[in-house]
Amino acid sequence: MEFRHRDYSAEAKLFMLRHDRAETHPLSAHSSQQANIADDQILQYDDPLRADDSATVSSFYLEDTENSPSIGVPSDSAFLSAEKEWSSFTRFMTQRFPVPKLVSVTSVSNAIIKVGKTHEKSSTGMHSEELEEPQSITENEVKVINRQYYINRLREFKDELIRAWDASDRVTALKISVKVTKLLKDTCVLQFYPTLFVLVTDILDMLGNFVWDRIKRKAEFTEDGARICSLPDLHLVNGCFSNPVEPLYGFCGERLWFNFENFKIKDICQNAKETCHNWFCKIGAIQELLPRIYLELALLPCWRFLSDQPVVVTQRLVVMARGLADPLASAYCRLYLTHCAHKLPSCDVGVLVSCVNDMNAQLKHFITAKETDGSTDNKVLLVGVMEPTIEYIIKCMFKNVSQRELDRTLLALGLGRNMEISQCVSVVLHHILKELAVEVVSSNAMEFLQLIDHSNDSSFHQFMNYRLLGLRLCEKRPPVYIVDTLVNNVLKVIAQNESLDEYLTVIDAYLDTVLQNHLDSCIKTILEGISQRSCNKEIDENGVLSLQSILGKLLSHYQSVEDVFALSHFLEILDLLVGRPRSVIIIDILKMATRNSYIRDPATIELLFEISQALNDSFDFANMKEDDNQPEHLLSRFVQLVDFGIERERHLAFLVECRGAFGTIDKLKETLVHSSNGLTVKALKDAKKNVNFVKACIAFSEVTLPSISTQIKQFNLYLETAEVALLGGLISHADELIDSAISCLHNMEIKEGSRAAAEAELLLSSIQKLCSLLVMLPGNPSHGSVHFPKILVSFVTNVPWMTPRMKTGILCAILPLLAACSQNRLPYHADKGVLWGSNNVFFGDSANLYELVSLSEHIVQNLVDAVLQESSPAARGAMALEACNSILSSFTIKDETYAICSKLMETAKLCMNESNKYLQSTFHLLEKKSQLLVKG
Amino acid sequence: MPVVELKLSRTNRIYRPSEHLQGQIIVNSRSSISHSGIRLALNGSVNLQVRGGSAGVIESVYGVIKPISIVNRSILVSPSGKLASGTNEIPFSVILRQPNENLGKYYETFHGTDINIQYLVTVDISRGYLHKSLSATMEFIVESDTADFLERPLSSEMVIFYITQDTQRHPLLPELRSGGFRVTGKMSTLCSLSDPLTGELIVETSAVPINSIDIHLCRVESVILGERIITETSVIQTTQIADGDVCRNITLPIYVILPRLLTCPTVFAGPFSIEFKVYIVITFQSELSKLHPKTDPRTPRLWLAIESLPMELLRCRSDD
Repeated sequence: MEFRHRDYSAEAKLFMLRHDRAETHPLSAHSSQQANIADDQILQYDDPLRADDSATVSSFYLEDTENSPSIGVPSDSAFLSAEKEWSSFTRFMTQRFPVPKLVSVTSVSNAIIKVGKTHEKSSTGMHSEELEEPQSITENEVKVINRQYYINRLREFKDELIRAWDASDRVTALKISVKVTKLLKDTCVLQFYPTLFVLVTDILDMLGNFVWDRIKRKAEFTEDGARICSLPDLHLVNGCFSNPVEPLYGFCGERLWFNFENFKIKDICQNAKETCHNWFCKIGAIQELLPRIYLELALLPCWRFLSDQPVVVTQRLVVMARGLADPLASAYCRLYLTHCAHKLPSCDVGVLVSCVNDMNAQLKHFITAKETDGSTDNKVLLVGVMEPTIEYIIKCMFKNVSQRELDRTLLALGLGRNMEISQCVSVVLHHILKELAVEVVSSNAMEFLQLIDHSNDSSFHQFMNYRLLGLRLCEKRPPVYIVDTLVNNVLKVIAQNESLDEYLTVIDAYLDTVLQNHLDSCIKTILEGISQRSCNKEIDENGVLSLQSILGKLLSHYQSVEDVFALSHFLEILDLLVGRPRSVIIIDILKMATRNSYIRDPATIELLFEISQALNDSFDFANMKEDDNQPEHLLSRFVQLVDFGIERERHLAFLVECRGAFGTIDKLKETLVHSSNGLTVKALKDAKKNVNFVKACIAFSEVTLPSISTQIKQFNLYLETAEVALLGGLISHADELIDSAISCLHNMEIKEGSRAAAEAELLLSSIQKLCSLLVMLPGNPSHGSVHFPKILVSFVTNVPWMTPRMKTGILCAILPLLAACSQNRLPYHADKGVLWGSNNVFFGDSANLYELVSLSEHIVQNLVDAVLQESSPAARGAMALEACNSILSSFTIKDETYAICSKLMETAKLCMNESNKYLQSTFHLLEKKSQLLVKG
Repeated sequence: MPVVELKLSRTNRIYRPSEHLQGQIIVNSRSSISHSGIRLALNGSVNLQVRGGSAGVIESVYGVIKPISIVNRSILVSPSGKLASGTNEIPFSVILRQPNENLGKYYETFHGTDINIQYLVTVDISRGYLHKSLSATMEFIVESDTADFLERPLSSEMVIFYITQDTQRHPLLPELRSGGFRVTGKMSTLCSLSDPLTGELIVETSAVPINSIDIHLCRVESVILGERIITETSVIQTTQIADGDVCRNITLPIYVILPRLLTCPTVFAGPFSIEFKVYIVITFQSELSKLHPKTDPRTPRLWLAIESLPMELLRCRSDD
């Protein structure tokens, strides 16, 4: 075989495509017309989180149409939702408090004890238990009973009540209800109280429904069973219509003349009234206050049979509840009142306002009264159990309140004009602040601040109220003219707080306001404040979260990371964070730093390096999942973006430092090699070449490379470094690097799997690149010019996992390499031909040429074999054509080569469609070349 | 055996003197019954009795005093005849007070300890000498004619009261005496029977925590026996208005629904009187009270503060 003589520059000219000059640069600024289109598109873009204006309008319209035919009627769906809300609220409430398995009860709960299932706390309990006699609890004694037992007993009571009612034994039914309700007097049960409340009120609601239905029947039918009138059901009275506009129809389809709007007592017959009155007399005769209130509440809707103004009754019950001195019992009693008041057609906000005011007064009394006892813990627990009631009542109070009513309500709550003299207990204030319309909070921010200032009691943490105010103000910014004073006041007040955690919690809430209003001096104060408090205090979990949020807000406020670092105490404060929050913040900082362009400031680089180290220490990169490689990516990006300008020595030193610090991150090591290679190239481009520095860089890369675990990446980087070394004229380095690269190939293994094909493709292209690099390498005289190709061929033939397809690819790449090496002038040179190419050492050496030819023959033989080994016909055809092309371009056509090519063409023809263009073009090329052969 | 029953037109069996007592006599029998007349007897009387209370030993022995008759009338519903087998419903209607009768005589039904005012209606079907006569009795309730009384008292006057350690004439706990307390309030003492008792109460100060505040409604029955007046006071209803140590200076409502049958308009008749009284009892927290768990609430104890107010009850014209 004989290599074809090539004149690369002539061929390049011959095959070069025609160049045309373009009018505009494809990447230059758009024309003005295009910009307009883009703007339009932006306008049409819908933010899914932004309120849709058109949707709001339509819903307004809908509300109007729904309300107009039924003016004055309370919205029915509101009632329905109130019922739903109640059930979800009670469910939530029972789950909110962890109830121990055992509940301690006092003598009040005697009703619950049937037989000797109690466990006395004292040691004598064992003895009395053995007796198994029904025991009642004597006064001053606390017994412990099983929670489940307690609940089961209540269920039994409920069943008993249902049985009694079904047997028309209404006296017993009432007695059972009273007995059950009395259990609510026992507030000793503490966390069990909400559960108890829910169970008891469930029974009471049931009784209320029974009584309502009974009286309703009396009102609807005479004793003979003749229908007098039709009254709506209780739940209908309370407005559970599916559609409020739809008229009501009776059982027989007759239009009811009656709906709850014109349900007047004059329509109710005397008999029904009598029964109803009797019920209230029975309840009025209950001696104890608490069961009397509860029972009347349960029957509250029945007042509608007796009075057109049942709201008066509710008002009386509100004041009656004042007589319950136990804060827990009265709070829950008011909760039930709120629930029952909603069953009346018109629920007066005033009733709820009185409830809240009474509750407030009572809490105040309770908190101050026992302050001396030192039982603050118990009190805090108690307030905690009461909190859901406060929350619910206040929520109900502010729900559906019109603007006019709102002013009146606020005035009644003592939150009118002279708000600062109001005496709100902090827990009540908290929930008012929470539920109040944000406009009111925002426009009265200063007043609320003073109010919080005054309400410093043990019922709720004051700082949490400061925080809440801050959060509410974030929803709607207060008027600009008060922001400054407001924030300063907050800072002044909170400055008195020594606790770091509380300080952080409050600051976190106000930071947005501070940042939005550019109150830079405040930021300084805040950071100083944090720093002062952090000196020798531990930070707790909540504090860490607040701090994380604070730092996050600061980061998103500033444009560049330099500005953030310039903040006083910033790094000191960052050091307070530990664990995951710290990593999150560092990731944010790195994101910010790597968002834009190169990082050039040495101080910034150093700081970033430090925090990166901290991030690195906190992550276990080795065990990280693939999808969570953000920190890894950010660190690499950071290293990549660092730029020391002309101080390259320093840059290299930085890279060395990074390798020391982040040695475990594979991706980062890649970046290090890239950066180091980049540095080398920059150094080479300099006017005065610093050979030692270049060597140092190459050496750095050489040392770093072996630790990269992914073989293919390592291989590519070896090639890259070899290229750079070659460019720097360090031929022996380049030699060694290529040597390492090839030995790296031997360690590689492409396993079967979904990614095998892609990996093989990558590897193939890398090997092709190696072949093209080898053209430029002068070659080592001691090894001979075909040293590396030989190794490659042996790699191809010896590696077990080599597929025929890959084999063909590699061999087809080596052939042109060998052909190029035989040429007088190489197709390309490193550094514009200043350096020697592979042929310079060996050109004209016949032994060398012989070696090239013999290796080529060996390759061609292998190539043909490889093609035939391929099982897939389509692939085989393509491979045959590829091999044929490669041979045709590398060798002059002789009989021998022609025979091989023809054979390959035959193979291809068998496998491919005649019309295939690749097949045709290859066929034409062979025809052309073979004509030369004939001529020759 | 045939069964006779009385059924009144009103389920609550309440009638006013000026009204007709209406109803049916229901006779159930398998065979037909011949009778010599169906008669209805109305009987109303005040039964007086003395036991315990302020009565002495001798009076107790004598016990029952001759009852005062209010009405005792017999009406022939049906002359002698025959009732068919099965259910016979014989309607009747009797006016209670004859036009010429005394106005104030029809006292309201009342069941007390010493005084019992009761109205009965009895049906009697005599069946000659061979058969036992059939009879049934039923109590009906008389409420005064609204027309007999004044209009509803206009925004009834409130009596203002205050209770302090100095208003108490019985010995108090030393800490109560020294620490002091002051509970004020007001209450209507003229009250319609159909309305609740209303008023309000404020705990202004109290050094000792309060355990409970209760309103005890009592009736005071007095019977003239010879030259003596024997008075018996008994609690008819207790209503708690404060449970525990309530907040100071907060108005607590007094709202007591008057129990039916146990109350009636205040009566001052010659031989007897029925009056009502309200006791406001403040129980203070004390270890001592636990040693005496059940006592008459009106008994003066060291840990109690008591205030009593007379109460005049009236039957007023109701709205209907």
